[in-house]
Amino acid sequence: MTAVQKRVLVNKIALTLSTLSALIALGFLFWILGVLVMKGVGALNWNIFLFEGAPPGNPESGLKHALVGQAILISMATAIGVPLGILAGTYLSEYGKNSKLAHTIRDISDIMMSAPSIVIGAFVYAIVVMPMGHFSAWAGAIALGIIMIPVILRTTDDMLQLVPGELREAAFALGAPKYKVIMDVVYRGAKAGILTGVLLGIARVGGETAPLLFTSFNDNFFTTDLNEAMPSLTVTIFNYATSPYEDWQQLGWAAAFILSMFILGLNILGRVILFAGKKRK
Amino acid sequence: MASIIDIKEECALHVRNFEFTYKGAAAASLKKVTMPIAKHSITALIGPSGCGKTTLLRSFNRMHDLYPGNSYAGEIEFEGRNILGAKEDLIHLRTKIGMIFQKPTAFPMSIFDNVAYGMRLQGIKNKTELNDRVEKALKDAAIWKEVSDRLKHDANGLSGGQQQRLCIARAIAVEPEVLLFDEPTSALDPISTQGIEKLVIELKERVSIIIVTHNMQQAARVSDYTGFMYLGELIELGQTEELFVTPKEKLTQEYITGKFG
Repeated sequence: MTAVQKRVLVNKIALTLSTLSALIALGFLFWILGVLVMKGVGALNWNIFLFEGAPPGNPESGLKHALVGQAILISMATAIGVPLGILAGTYLSEYGKNSKLAHTIRDISDIMMSAPSIVIGAFVYAIVVMPMGHFSAWAGAIALGIIMIPVILRTTDDMLQLVPGELREAAFALGAPKYKVIMDVVYRGAKAGILTGVLLGIARVGGETAPLLFTSFNDNFFTTDLNEAMPSLTVTIFNYATSPYEDWQQLGWAAAFILSMFILGLNILGRVILFAGKKRK
Repeated sequence: MASIIDIKEECALHVRNFEFTYKGAAAASLKKVTMPIAKHSITALIGPSGCGKTTLLRSFNRMHDLYPGNSYAGEIEFEGRNILGAKEDLIHLRTKIGMIFQKPTAFPMSIFDNVAYGMRLQGIKNKTELNDRVEKALKDAAIWKEVSDRLKHDANGLSGGQQQRLCIARAIAVEPEVLLFDEPTSALDPISTQGIEKLVIELKERVSIIIVTHNMQQAARVSDYTGFMYLGELIELGQTEELFVTPKEKLTQEYITGKFG
């Protein structure tokens, strides 16, 4: 066998192995999604949206409590995490730049991004739940908001840095003060990227369960009281899926399907916006 | 010794013993530059890469102040004061001394909003006034005919040459006294370049112009005065024709005849 033939052979083997690995990985993904869709769609019905949790065996049981609770928790977390994340990202890109402080913040934020979310739940348990004396939607939202911050901070920082320096200089050269340059030119230029970061941040916390166990806990009934424990889809999935009752397990499948589609949708939307933004340039 | 022409007509700017040092640099990037800039005329700055022509240009609107640690010495006189002073209002200065960059810098907003941007910064809100002045600026920048039916469209949809003329419209809309051009055609095709050069010549009736260019033919085509810079020094400043035909300095002659560069 010549050297060239050998290289061609090695190339073929490597290509085959890597393709195979990709197919196996994708196979598992579609397996999970497939089972989820089959079981989830089968479990869907109008009662899910009309009724709150009920004891096993009651046909008038649904997920209204968890859907509304999830929406409340995610909205509050977004209200906390998005402004903090965007403003902190703006600081890094526009003010801190390559300073020591900025690099330290970036490093800590990267660590936070991979920190186990249960640790953040425990942290919020200590600083919010303990002093309050009970679980609350506030605590859950704060925990999710904290988890959201590093995702949004980092994408904002990256996206703002992609805006060409000449564009900033051109605005300064017209006599714009710095805050105007940032708001009128830099934010506009990075609009699509920042929006994607926000959507990915929301998607990131949408599937969190562990931090909520410590903070908003759960409730099987409908509530909008932010000072009390608040049901969420994720904790509800956990409770229903591990219960021995057939009808609760069905609700668990439905909840898992709805949540997965929500997160999948956000991720796809985020990517579409980013792609459309890039294409326009 | 440098050979600097004594300009008899009124001057827009006077540079005297100007020195500029970048942050952390051991030596000054501009050394003892002294040059008058004639009013309502075009002054070109030429010289090999790294000679300091862009650095000098960016000193006139204190662009270097965007990056901390740079330092100025000497004097640049504009409207009777030294603009290098610590108390200089840079926002006001930059409305008086505008700048056009190498690459077109259309903002991510509509054509109209681009041109209106500087005026809005100055607090002009009146719709009629904005409309009139945007139209006038676009006409003066010779782009009105191409964009009048799509003022609300995204400025990034324009071609490079159109964007550059849009940037010129944006700069003249705030009625500056001086316009700085930093190699404004180096990213453009020959036809667009021709359009920009024609426009620059037309504009000198209203503003004083300083243009940095790599291209000696461009300097010869458009400018009234030309300054040749080398290694951070202004070697020669003269009337453009004289400088290119009968340069007084040996270095200038060597550069314009292509012996180095």
